[in-house]
Amino acid sequence: MDQKEIYELLAEKLGTAALGFNDEGVEAHADVAPKNIAEACLFLRDDERLAFDQLMCLSSIDWDGYDENGKGKSVKILGYTNEGQPETSDRVGEGDFGVAYSLYSHSKLHKFTIRVRVPRAKAAVPSVAQVWSTADWHEREAWDLMGITFEGHPSLRRILLEEHWEGHPLRKDYQMPDKWDNVPLSGQPYSNNPFPTPVVTPDPTPDQPAGDDPVEG
Amino acid sequence: MAIENIKTNTGWADQDHVPGLKSELLELNMGPQHPATHGVLRLVLHTDGEIVYKVTPVMGYLHRCAEKIAEGVNYKQWVVYTDRFDYLSPMTCNHAYVTALEKVMQQEVPERAEHIRIVVSELSRMASHLIALATFGLDMGAWTPLLYCFREREVILDLLERISGGRMLYNYMVPGGVRYDIPKDNWASDVLDFITMIEKKKLKDYNELLSYNKIFIGRLANVAVIDPETAFDYGCTGPVLRGSGVKFDCRKDDPYSLYHKFDFDIPVGLGEMGTVGDCWDRYMVRVREIEQSCRIIRQALESLPEGPYSALELKKPVKAPAGAAYSRVESSKGELGHYIIADGGQTAFRNKVRSPSFCNLQVIEKAGVGLMVSDLVALIGSLDIVLGEIDR
Repeated sequence: MDQKEIYELLAEKLGTAALGFNDEGVEAHADVAPKNIAEACLFLRDDERLAFDQLMCLSSIDWDGYDENGKGKSVKILGYTNEGQPETSDRVGEGDFGVAYSLYSHSKLHKFTIRVRVPRAKAAVPSVAQVWSTADWHEREAWDLMGITFEGHPSLRRILLEEHWEGHPLRKDYQMPDKWDNVPLSGQPYSNNPFPTPVVTPDPTPDQPAGDDPVEG
Repeated sequence: MAIENIKTNTGWADQDHVPGLKSELLELNMGPQHPATHGVLRLVLHTDGEIVYKVTPVMGYLHRCAEKIAEGVNYKQWVVYTDRFDYLSPMTCNHAYVTALEKVMQQEVPERAEHIRIVVSELSRMASHLIALATFGLDMGAWTPLLYCFREREVILDLLERISGGRMLYNYMVPGGVRYDIPKDNWASDVLDFITMIEKKKLKDYNELLSYNKIFIGRLANVAVIDPETAFDYGCTGPVLRGSGVKFDCRKDDPYSLYHKFDFDIPVGLGEMGTVGDCWDRYMVRVREIEQSCRIIRQALESLPEGPYSALELKKPVKAPAGAAYSRVESSKGELGHYIIADGGQTAFRNKVRSPSFCNLQVIEKAGVGLMVSDLVALIGSLDIVLGEIDR
């Protein structure tokens, strides 16, 4: 089925919650109101004409500093300075968070992409883990790395990082910690190395008696 | 106590099964340093004697946040990071990334480059499947097939070294083509000799040694059956999905590159030794895929056109116009997808990787319940996961 037709079916079901269809660029996508996303996904899966039985990918997006005009990167990725200290900045992230759902139907052989946008201050989206079980881990990953809460998720906890990690690294305004469990993370200059290589003084070796060289071969 | 009762009884741990005797579930850590978990994967098992009641995978030991790195380096510099995802078949990972990037860039690729890409991707897939057979046999207690499979993989590594310069991590494909042309010193005919040897002799060896071995079948038939509905629901792809009897392969059903030009079959699990979707079916799909890879390589090399091997200048960084696209390829483990959002610059604004092992492993939470601990090892081996890809 054509992407436009899929969107029309979805818009018929959702009414005003379907926010628009964008087919500019390489891949078309539909925008849906965040609070209706679980309902929309359930419809897309269960409707016989659509039958989207596979959630291919669930991507979290931080739209902070997105510049369509192609002026290069508007947000600098923070790293470590030459002295080995983490770079800091006072910039507070702005712009929305987004989630993109890429769907595929094995029986109808069509694809579709839905996107939602949520404000940065309240980054929460209803969970679709009840619709496709594979969303469970994808949503945990999105929470872990991007900090988007999925309401109604069976157990929303970190999946790739440590459970007591602070912050969400894929956010554009994430700042690296300088220490983790009291261990400096990286980039320490050699002079400040907290674990200096021990200096080993070689034992004075006795003179080898002449003619005792090992025979080669 | 019957397994069904354990599965259905949610308040299991609080009950006294033998009057007067208190019993409880045993919490057992399997991994992260365990030979059967195929990497640094930790499984927290709740077991009742030998029977697994609950499986909770814990991963992230290999996490490097490559998606964050993608936002800091330019498009071409990130190809090396894709090598490190599935380090057993890096060529297919390269292929997935450059395909996605070319979709966003709307970049055409010369036909010769596409042929070379397909040949090296299929060689890499064969190497990955050989490791899958070898380590699966090892998990089941068969030592000899490991040596056989590694011997043939060594030949593939030598061939890929001659074309790319690397033995394990290649960094071979670039947006717009490949980095080097096919070497002039009979590389193509050596590949053809190799696949003829695999088709004529080696596959027969593996089947005699391992596939139709009575003990091996006894360990795998009817074990950890995954039905097609579960496979769809959990997003399983690749040999895991095909082992469940579903004829789906991105190379056929969602063609990319030039795969639509070549003639090959999609092997699926048939339930020859037991039920459709058991461990043996998932294993056998891989053996048969090696044969199909040989067919694709032969066709691709015999119809190799002349011409340039890269559409773009190698040393210049590339730019992608603003836009977003999801693109997927069939890697050796399943559907490997990239969701790339470009803002018009030289760096990806967001690059999300959908890795097949990540989704395939999740099914263990369902399929692993009620198995014996030794059968859980068979299940992990038949899923053929790579932790570099799960943790990224």
